[in-house]
Amino acid sequence: MSIAVIILALAIGCYAVAVLEGWAVHGRLSLTRPATSALALLGREQILPRTSDRLFFEVGPVLLLVAGLLSVAVIPLAPGLIITDLAIGALFLNAALAYVLVALIMAGWGPNGAYGMVGGWRFLGQFIAYAMLIVMPITAVAMRAESLSTTQIVLSQAALWNIAYQPIGFVLFVIAAMGVAWLPPIDLPTGGGDLAGGVEAEYTGARLAVLRLARLVIIVALASATVTFYLGGWLGPWLPGWVWTALKTLAVAAGMLALGSRLPRLREAKYLELSWKLGITLALANIFLVGVIALVVPI
Amino acid sequence: MSELTQYAILLGLTLGTVGLVLSIYALARAIGRARAEPAKDVPATAGTLARDPVWVRYHAKYYGYALLFLAFDMEMAFMYPWAVVYREKGLVALLDMGVFLAILFLGLLYGWSQGALRRQ
Repeated sequence: MSIAVIILALAIGCYAVAVLEGWAVHGRLSLTRPATSALALLGREQILPRTSDRLFFEVGPVLLLVAGLLSVAVIPLAPGLIITDLAIGALFLNAALAYVLVALIMAGWGPNGAYGMVGGWRFLGQFIAYAMLIVMPITAVAMRAESLSTTQIVLSQAALWNIAYQPIGFVLFVIAAMGVAWLPPIDLPTGGGDLAGGVEAEYTGARLAVLRLARLVIIVALASATVTFYLGGWLGPWLPGWVWTALKTLAVAAGMLALGSRLPRLREAKYLELSWKLGITLALANIFLVGVIALVVPI
Repeated sequence: MSELTQYAILLGLTLGTVGLVLSIYALARAIGRARAEPAKDVPATAGTLARDPVWVRYHAKYYGYALLFLAFDMEMAFMYPWAVVYREKGLVALLDMGVFLAILFLGLLYGWSQGALRRQ
């Protein structure tokens, strides 16, 4: 029952994010555009590039979609409304998101095309930049909650949301999440106007539709993870819990998209430098600060 | 719900996703198939085959970061169990991990001073 509800909520969330992305990129708010472009993609020819690595080419988009769905599986929509309330939920989310890298490298390598390949390898560099900034802020969240279960993490924020408790971690996590979902300005693997689509360059028709759907799922997964870890999940007055989760998730996704459409693209070298020199230092300071606060203040 | 049931659900979710993708492909195939025309399957390089092969070795210019990343990623494996029992153990846990992280951070600073934190 709860599985069906969450899958339905995820589908609606993906559609809403697609509408929002159209708004952020093209400046037009069209409610039907994602549906028409999905239908158009289904009607288009599916071309298999010559001398491609068929296995990698086919598995890439599917693995990306699986990674997105598995990370959504540990995010609570409301108390009890969660696919699997694993005791190691936050760690499982990390493990699932690690496959985003694998899937994109496969999608870049598979078609044996120059643009795809460059996009795939660029994402490897991007991964090395964002990976630590995903796990380190989550550690600080787990320290406060004394648990890795996502439900416990939400409950630990009853007195004060983590965005106020550990604001440095919030900022780092959101920026790293934009890296995972290759949202602009950190969209190195696709790089619109630069790489002719990058990893998407050789995908056509239904395969491209699956690839784009998978990316939408990953954006929703990361926005809802931000809500779970930092914005108090379902907690909020008056409205029922699932409404709060949905509203906050959409707000975070809209914020990430709006931020991205206003910034110039970051080069890989610059991103690596910023993440390791500034990001890691701040993340370690965040862990230390949260450690001290958690010992002094009982909340 | 037992742990085993939860992982069975996750496996079912994975299989269901694969099934969804296969049915999307079947739907697309039912709508129509690609016509075999010459040079249609050339990768996106202005309609001609690329001059150089694509599957070759690339220089990973960020290898300095990558080596540091391995060290930090291992450290994170220790930090998750530590984070869960942190409040229970109190100050001892802070000092223990503080020493560990300080050594690791010194490693990062040393790498920085030796020029590992730039694109080679």
